[in-house]
Amino acid sequence: MLRYIVRRLLWGIVLLIAVIAITFVIFYLLPNVDPAILRAGRNSSPKIIAQISHDLGTDKPVYTQFWDYLKNLVLHFNLGYSYQSQASVKSLILDRLPATISLTVGAVVLWLAAGIPVGIVSAIKRRSLLDRSAMGAALVFVSAPVYWLGLLMLFMFASDIGRFPISFLHGSGSYTGLTNSPINWFESLLMPWFVLAATSAAIYARLLRGSLIDVMGEDYIRTARAKGLRERTVVMKHGLRSAITPLVTVLGLDIAILLGGAVLTEAVFNIPGIGRLNFDAITHGDFPIIQGTITLAAIFIIIANILVDIAYAYLDPRVRYS
Amino acid sequence: MSVGASELLVEGEATLDAVELAPGEITARSPGQLFWRRFRADRVAMVSAGFIVLLILIAIFAPLIVKLLGLPGPAVQNTNLTDAFGTPLGPSAAHPFGVDPLGEDVLSRVIYGTRVSLEVGIIGTFMATVVGVVLGLIAGFYRGGPDTIISRFADIVLSFPILLLGIGIAAACAVNGCLGGLIQPGVPTILAIIVISGWTYIFRITRGQVLSLREKEFVEAARSLGASNKRIMFKEILPNLVAPIIVYASLLIPTNILFEAALSFLGVGVKPPTASWGQMIADATPTFDTVWWYMLFPGIALLLTVLAFNLVGDGLQDALNPKADR
Amino acid sequence: MKVTIRGLVLAGLLCGLAFALAACGGSSSSNSGSSGASSSGSSGLKPALDGSGQNLTNGKKGGTLTVYDHEDFSHLDPGQSYFSLDYEVIYATQRPLYQFSPDSSTKEVPDFASGPPTVTDGGKTVTVHVRSGVKFSPPVNRAATSKDVAYAIERGANPNVSNPYFPAYFKYIQGADKATGGPISGISTPDNNTIVFHLTGPYGTFFVGALSLPLTAPVPKEFAAPLDAKKPTAYGASSLAETGPYMVKSDSKGKFIGIGYQPGKSATLVRNPNWDPKTDFRPAYLDQININIGGDPNVIGRQVLTGSHVLQNDTPAGPIVKLAYQKYYNQLVAVPGAGDHYVALNNHTGPFSNVNVRKALWAALDREAMIKADGGQVVAQVATHFIYPTSAGYSQSGGDHGPNVDYNNYPAGNATVAAKYMKLAGYSTGKYTGSATVKVVGSTGDPADKTAAILNHAVQSLGFKTNFTLVDQSVMYTKYCGDPKQEIDACPNVGWIRDWADPQTLLDPTFAGYNIVPTDNSNWGQVGYPDWPKAAGGPYTGGPLTPIDQEMKAAEKTVGDTARAAAWAKVDNMLVSQAVAVPWVFDKQANIEAKDVRGINDLWNIGSWDYDFTSLK
Repeated sequence: MLRYIVRRLLWGIVLLIAVIAITFVIFYLLPNVDPAILRAGRNSSPKIIAQISHDLGTDKPVYTQFWDYLKNLVLHFNLGYSYQSQASVKSLILDRLPATISLTVGAVVLWLAAGIPVGIVSAIKRRSLLDRSAMGAALVFVSAPVYWLGLLMLFMFASDIGRFPISFLHGSGSYTGLTNSPINWFESLLMPWFVLAATSAAIYARLLRGSLIDVMGEDYIRTARAKGLRERTVVMKHGLRSAITPLVTVLGLDIAILLGGAVLTEAVFNIPGIGRLNFDAITHGDFPIIQGTITLAAIFIIIANILVDIAYAYLDPRVRYS
Repeated sequence: MSVGASELLVEGEATLDAVELAPGEITARSPGQLFWRRFRADRVAMVSAGFIVLLILIAIFAPLIVKLLGLPGPAVQNTNLTDAFGTPLGPSAAHPFGVDPLGEDVLSRVIYGTRVSLEVGIIGTFMATVVGVVLGLIAGFYRGGPDTIISRFADIVLSFPILLLGIGIAAACAVNGCLGGLIQPGVPTILAIIVISGWTYIFRITRGQVLSLREKEFVEAARSLGASNKRIMFKEILPNLVAPIIVYASLLIPTNILFEAALSFLGVGVKPPTASWGQMIADATPTFDTVWWYMLFPGIALLLTVLAFNLVGDGLQDALNPKADR
Repeated sequence: MKVTIRGLVLAGLLCGLAFALAACGGSSSSNSGSSGASSSGSSGLKPALDGSGQNLTNGKKGGTLTVYDHEDFSHLDPGQSYFSLDYEVIYATQRPLYQFSPDSSTKEVPDFASGPPTVTDGGKTVTVHVRSGVKFSPPVNRAATSKDVAYAIERGANPNVSNPYFPAYFKYIQGADKATGGPISGISTPDNNTIVFHLTGPYGTFFVGALSLPLTAPVPKEFAAPLDAKKPTAYGASSLAETGPYMVKSDSKGKFIGIGYQPGKSATLVRNPNWDPKTDFRPAYLDQININIGGDPNVIGRQVLTGSHVLQNDTPAGPIVKLAYQKYYNQLVAVPGAGDHYVALNNHTGPFSNVNVRKALWAALDREAMIKADGGQVVAQVATHFIYPTSAGYSQSGGDHGPNVDYNNYPAGNATVAAKYMKLAGYSTGKYTGSATVKVVGSTGDPADKTAAILNHAVQSLGFKTNFTLVDQSVMYTKYCGDPKQEIDACPNVGWIRDWADPQTLLDPTFAGYNIVPTDNSNWGQVGYPDWPKAAGGPYTGGPLTPIDQEMKAAEKTVGDTARAAAWAKVDNMLVSQAVAVPWVFDKQANIEAKDVRGINDLWNIGSWDYDFTSLK
């Protein structure tokens, strides 16, 4: 087991370096703004621009720049400095991370709270009106673009511009830090949570339903039923336990991706999170921030994958030897 | 299982992996006729398929339809249709879906927007599928070195936050294109991103299937008859994969449509004057609380289209895999 | 997102991205005394208040003002700041040698200086005396001197500071061209109250205008020099010393980051304990200014219009301007003279190197449609030439109507006139018949993308195929329109805001052939430099000047405000006669305030709020 974990971790590190390298190359070629020109100002002499390029290290060959970047990242967890604001990318990310974590955690709680019960009920009452309408609604939510759903919600219910304003549903741009005002934090995130959770709840409900239906057909469930256990006990104790495994693995990756930045939701609700940071950086050609946020997102994804793999290996010994 | 959630593009794929690839779940041997009969019996899926055919017709005959409806073209600007502050006029008999801030007819643009969505959804999926199938065949059939290389590469692709990467590539190719003009801005760039990110999903499915099929008797038989590797791969194994590939590819279509819309929404996808639903929603965002029609109608078009593809995908999946009995 | 950068920069930002609509505006009356009628009065709307006749005295003392800024600041260092948004804080916290009075774009008043500048030696020497008793905020706590001004200007040439307008205006100081942060030979400080500038030529009259820029605010060397050694400087990024009535809230070491300024979130200005009102002309009524950064302009706008003791700092969203105009008329100010926008056309290569094709495009372009897309006539005015309202020389160069030439006489576009010029250009059908594809690069964001689309349509109406692209504004300027090698044919979203009322700051950086540079070029159309790019790399060094350039060189040396206005008006007329670009909007800055705020607008600074004069009711 230990050997498997070590192997998996090493591969994770290789993956991470590959991702960082590829990102570096892609965005090195991006038509971004030359940071030296940006800093030099109007009518600057080529001499000044060259001097600034030299200070920034952007005049070095790309592989040297990459090596420097990697060194700084590994030794100091230093992700460089924004071309636009000259702020440290690490500090920018740390500054934005709370908003993204807030958004992710709340949405995950919400979609599990909604998706799991719906999935179970649908699986048990298969083909009932309840099942059909739940799955129909789920498919609609799966099909709706999250940003459009967000705009619709704002249009209908936001306390500031809504047609049917609900006082505790704060609108776009109202995000407040948890430490500043817990109530405002909660209320400002209600709609984003709902919108982000709607699609995922639908996916999870459908996923759980399918998986539970499969499991309930297994022999051991029949045995449990034959023993005279109440159906409720059979489903909750025996069925759900194995049916929920695929959900857990998907959940790991979902959380990782959202922590890397929910660009669309953050854009619609104007939440100052990692996704906004990355998106703004891309439109401004702010290379160090792009690199930093993608690296961060990749780290989350790779860690999640490793955790999922280890969990699987733990559950299913065959994996370790494959 | 459908793929959806534009925010969580990778997730949809993982979902499919985790659930659908349970070994032996897919019975590739179900005859096509049986498959078709089961699909036909699914009324929801059939209606959805009909809707998709209608969409395809709308896309092809967009100019004609716009003309028949007596609407101006999708890029006909007319600022007489905006008030003194530049606010566009809402739905009316002449402009059933209202106009946008340039005075362009929203219905006309929604109709033309079908083209981009279907182009990206269908062609993009087809391209990603071809790449995924070919690589999956190679990896699954040869195993060893080729498998390791391709699978590792797939791992790398799957480690990227795809939406972020997509935004980046799209922005990079925005003006002069990429790879020395090989990838032109707009739809071609989006297709490239879809292929780069989407092939892994089909690849994994194909590879898994090939790994099990190559041990089957009919492959052994072909081999003993002296068939070349190429022949075994494409003539013996591939036909058995057609049904599952179609099913899984059909589930990729709605994802890709949402992906294009998301990129266009973020301003790095299809650009005006070409009409794209995502771009229209983005354009409507600054004023959506007053100019609601500009946000609402493209969104509904997008929702219905994606829903139809999801329903058809569901139906295909059920028809292929009746055991699941959904 | 708007961001109003000055000068070079990107007036385009005015009419910003995703969430900001209107913003750029055209006024019907102007402070410089030019004609008052709107040029496109088709719908005959009553003009919005324009900020004229503000009462600067007798404000109520005290209170806290809340300001909504949908955009963040760029720099709080007086040596680096160049955005209008930054200027609002800079001019409340710093004391440059001169400032403009809020109610005028031309009335320069002494700030740190104790009186008007003395220009001697045929315009080659400028002497300024500074006040005693002006002290730096804690922790510096000492009196500011003329030597602090010298250091402030010298650090502008330090690559770690890299002041954006130093090369354009402070180049006139002897030795400035070689400066990299150390002492400049042309600046001397005979005593603590005197600073003398020795110029390379008779540019004194023009140069004194530059002494109102934030770069001339004193900077204490002992405090700033260690910070300036960082790449880039940390002065203004983490710590700061102020001389103005207000200071960014800081700790005892002068550090403000995380205390009085949370980037992207908020800023707090408090009274500077070392500020002595006896040394200042500013009343500084308010006790504190809380600035909230971020948020949706649609929401902010409503909060401001219905709120209390609050105002919005940057451009309100389009629907908000409309709402304010219709329901809160007295809380809306649309200040003219907030810059202009034009379609830069490549005069050097491609189809627009032909003057008649340029005139045809001018005639074909529906400028009224662009104004409408830009927010309508309350906030925008059809542009008819290049010197814009409230700038010296506006009326002399044509006023609202502009030069009377047929391609300029149809603001809604005229296909017949366009065809006439296409025929003159050699296309007998009146439409382009060649194979060239016109590269159009505009800016993303509402409404810039709309106005770009209208221009694109006009280009196509002449028979051209276009390659139409929208990119982020800063990318548009630095990577495409500002890079001559890219050979972009048309840039519809470029714009300019003067650095002060002198028209040289409007026309020279944007249209002088001798100012073309290989990177971050602001003569986007490469006007007037027939040898470009033979001189590959580097700015103009010599060689024949075009007639326009000769006229500019003459105007640069002209002395006296009236004569300068006339000289630059003549340049403007030449630019129009060559149709070097197509001007389409004279911008107006819309501002909104709560009903219980007596906001004062800086008319010289595109009408931004002036915290030193604003008071609560």
